[in-house]
Amino acid sequence: MTTTKPAAIETGVILPYRLVLNIRALEMTEDQLFQFCSDNGDLQIELTANKELVIMPPNGLEGSWQELYLASQVLVWAKHDGTGRAFGPSAGYTLPNGAVRAPDASWMPLSRWESLSRDDQTKFGHTFPDFAIELRSPSDSVREVQDKMREYMKNGVLLGFLVDPQNRRVHIYRPSQAIEILEEPDEVSADPVLPGFALDLTAIW
Amino acid sequence: MSTTKPAAIETGVTLPYRLALNIRALEMTEAQLARLSSDNGDLRLELTAGKELIIMPPVASEGGLGEHELSLQVGIWAKQDGTGRVFSPSAGFNLPNGAIRSPDVSWIPLSRWEALSDDDRRGFAKICPDFVIELRSESDSLREVQRKMDEYMETGVLLGLLVDPQNRRVHIYRPGQAIEILEEPASVSGEPVLPGFALDLAAFW
Repeated sequence: MTTTKPAAIETGVILPYRLVLNIRALEMTEDQLFQFCSDNGDLQIELTANKELVIMPPNGLEGSWQELYLASQVLVWAKHDGTGRAFGPSAGYTLPNGAVRAPDASWMPLSRWESLSRDDQTKFGHTFPDFAIELRSPSDSVREVQDKMREYMKNGVLLGFLVDPQNRRVHIYRPSQAIEILEEPDEVSADPVLPGFALDLTAIW
Repeated sequence: MSTTKPAAIETGVTLPYRLALNIRALEMTEAQLARLSSDNGDLRLELTAGKELIIMPPVASEGGLGEHELSLQVGIWAKQDGTGRVFSPSAGFNLPNGAIRSPDVSWIPLSRWEALSDDDRRGFAKICPDFVIELRSESDSLREVQRKMDEYMETGVLLGLLVDPQNRRVHIYRPGQAIEILEEPASVSGEPVLPGFALDLAAFW
């Protein structure tokens, strides 16, 4: 949550399009970025590897329940499994390529979590998840989310699901394998990265 | 113009609402703000006295023509008058309260312009214009533009015109006087700040 006055969308209307701002001139430090994101807590903010700030509108109600519906399944499985940590959409990762990204749901093994410094655990840690889910929101083009998924795969992620409610599809990403696209699947297995976990999607379609 | 890749609005649609970002954490210098503006040349940026970065969409073509018409009239008068300089909306003024604002049209007497340092002339000059016009665009709420006009008057502007095509009104601001509101005026006098100048507004209603 934000501690200072949050950024306001002054007209009171949800910003319908994402904004990309070239901020190379600002030479922003990682601590400044973290503070900036918390000062503008009602916006979703990411940083590309090219130092562009991507500013996204807050979720609408539908996007918000879909996000929680997916993330909570990962959490329930992770709690039961006990070998890793599950994260929600506010988790920001500083990926090896320098981008700061926040997947809608993610999971990493405890061994990696415990190897992180306290600073990395409490801010946008220099690490990456083993598993990431991106939910395409109405303001995302498919290509944008696909680019993000490819970036995850290049930065160490072992399994990625792109959930696209508009086209009723799930794109499954695995390292050095062709992307698998399923039409309206009831569930998608996360084996072997998340043993025994299958993401239930029936309520999304 | 931008020398690096300009900010793209990825969906290819004009951003319809202004966005206010709290950037206090960034401790941005004036030089950085100037580069940020030029690196993102297709967006209009302003800074409030409270260190919020205001991001405005490019002007829609109708608003652009209106701005051009206003600049043209002031420009023609100023050329004949010869006692001052006229500025387009790309001019950023560093106002005494720390805000950096870009009025749609502004005018400064030569004596004050020539007193500026070269640095001030090239960057965001620490000066407030004698005369400003703000044209309310589709994405502006009236209150936002009124607040901007109040700020201009508090920081030393001698005459301010707020042209509101949606409500077919002009609000006239003079220091220490009540705001005068005219309904569909054919023209508005710039006396005594701009001797002999009258802004023809017939095309706006």
